[in-house]
Amino acid sequence: MTDAGADAADGTEPAAAAESGTQISATSVADAVDDLSGEGLSGYNYAYLDEHTKREVRRAILKGIAIPGHQVPFASRPMPLARGWGTGGIQASLSLLGPDDAFKVIDQGSDESVNAANVRRLAETTAEVETTTDTTEADVIQTRHRIPEEVLDEDQILVLQVPITDALRKVDSSDAANRRRHAHANYGKMWVHLYENVVEWGEIQIAARYPAMVAGRYLMDPSPIPRWDLPKLDDADNLFVFAAGREARIYAVPPHTDVEPLAFEDKSFQVERFPDQSCHSCGSTDTYLTEIETEEGTESDGGDRLYVCNDTSFCLKRQDDPGLAKDHHLDREGVDWGPGTPGGPAGADRDELAEGDGGDDA
Amino acid sequence: MRALGIDPVHDTQTAFRALCDATSRPGTVADVGSSPADHAILATLVDHEVRTWTDDGELRSALESQGRFDPIEPAEADLLHTHGQPDWDVRECSHGSLVEPSEGATVVYRVDGLETGPDSALTTVELIGPGVDGTRRLSADLPASELERLREAQSTYPRGVDAYLTSGEYVAAIPRSNDLEVV
Repeated sequence: MTDAGADAADGTEPAAAAESGTQISATSVADAVDDLSGEGLSGYNYAYLDEHTKREVRRAILKGIAIPGHQVPFASRPMPLARGWGTGGIQASLSLLGPDDAFKVIDQGSDESVNAANVRRLAETTAEVETTTDTTEADVIQTRHRIPEEVLDEDQILVLQVPITDALRKVDSSDAANRRRHAHANYGKMWVHLYENVVEWGEIQIAARYPAMVAGRYLMDPSPIPRWDLPKLDDADNLFVFAAGREARIYAVPPHTDVEPLAFEDKSFQVERFPDQSCHSCGSTDTYLTEIETEEGTESDGGDRLYVCNDTSFCLKRQDDPGLAKDHHLDREGVDWGPGTPGGPAGADRDELAEGDGGDDA
Repeated sequence: MRALGIDPVHDTQTAFRALCDATSRPGTVADVGSSPADHAILATLVDHEVRTWTDDGELRSALESQGRFDPIEPAEADLLHTHGQPDWDVRECSHGSLVEPSEGATVVYRVDGLETGPDSALTTVELIGPGVDGTRRLSADLPASELERLREAQSTYPRGVDAYLTSGEYVAAIPRSNDLEVV
């Protein structure tokens, strides 16, 4: 769109504009989007989905909450983006959202990815919600592959986008066989997989999608969140809704529900370790860090190894106030939320999780 | 659903959020936003894909007028609605299968009194399970025998039925994931 003027000057009409009959005179993408929004949305129901679809999604969400960890099938609708790009999350979010809500969308911890920005804008234009990047101000948060660093409270709902709904998929590709395994809580094959992992690597080497037992009954794929985030699902104050558009399944973890990562007595579950690293931007040592490329490239290219917080909105807050606690917005003490802060009140927890007794001796 | 005085978009959204809150925290009472709450709940959840049993004529005709009512006998229903103690047995309702337990029925009871915590004028149950931090008590104007039947109907987890109790504008949930004991 940005180049529309330039193309026209060359005497060649931009094909898209000519065919659709909508000539816009914007000079930037943002202006173009502003020009078009509103126009194309007339005739759509509140929150984009029709009410029949919402009823279907809502029934699935409620059954999901009533049977924690069980994957409830639902009729996933075509959405204005391709399946696999968060369509399940969008359907769940749009079924939940009302005009009084503040909505936040993150993609791998970032509010500013193109996909997150577009999902946020869809909700803003169709559901008339306020949008925010502040975790503590959001009523509903849709996320891809992360749980925010700041503690969620009981009034918040986290909607996780799920690419693969079944933890057993990696040990058996048959959905029918895996559904029978879930029916009888027969998870032997996953235990064998973990055992083989330990034999091969000396510790359980599962980077993301770490399988966890929910309320002692269902084995759940927590979506590709890092292991770092998995402890946050256990005994949380908020509701988690997992939605997969491509696989047409919804499942949930209610507040105060046991979520236990699979592990052995002598090979414990471990979160990611970032020894002696801190965020390059805010200095945090108690957040999930991701490696970034410097001008010299990554470490393997001979550059420096630099880490930054993956949760960008919390990183920005920490840049203003380096001592900000993850539960700074709550009026109670000792909130347990993921790995603790080293040197902080819950520091012991983190050391235990990080060092554990699995792997180091292998 | 305007026949019932319920906005089909915004009132059902409010009702759904109340149902989410109630189901997430069994035994707590959530505000559905419109009264009676049971009408709002059925308006939120029922359409022609949900085989429904109700003896509430007003609700039935409102759903019928939109082609959203698929009546069926209680034992086969996906969703059942009753004022107080029903004349059917909740233990006979659909429990779903082990492969697809979510096909178990949803039962909506309209009762005259409902509150979190013990109440000597009502029947009190104690709930333990997902969504409850420790234990929680819920009191409702239902005979102890009906709540005992519900306990039996939920005793085959993950198969079972999920119950919503409503009074005025309020709803509380007893999902099958919780262990229920009449105290």
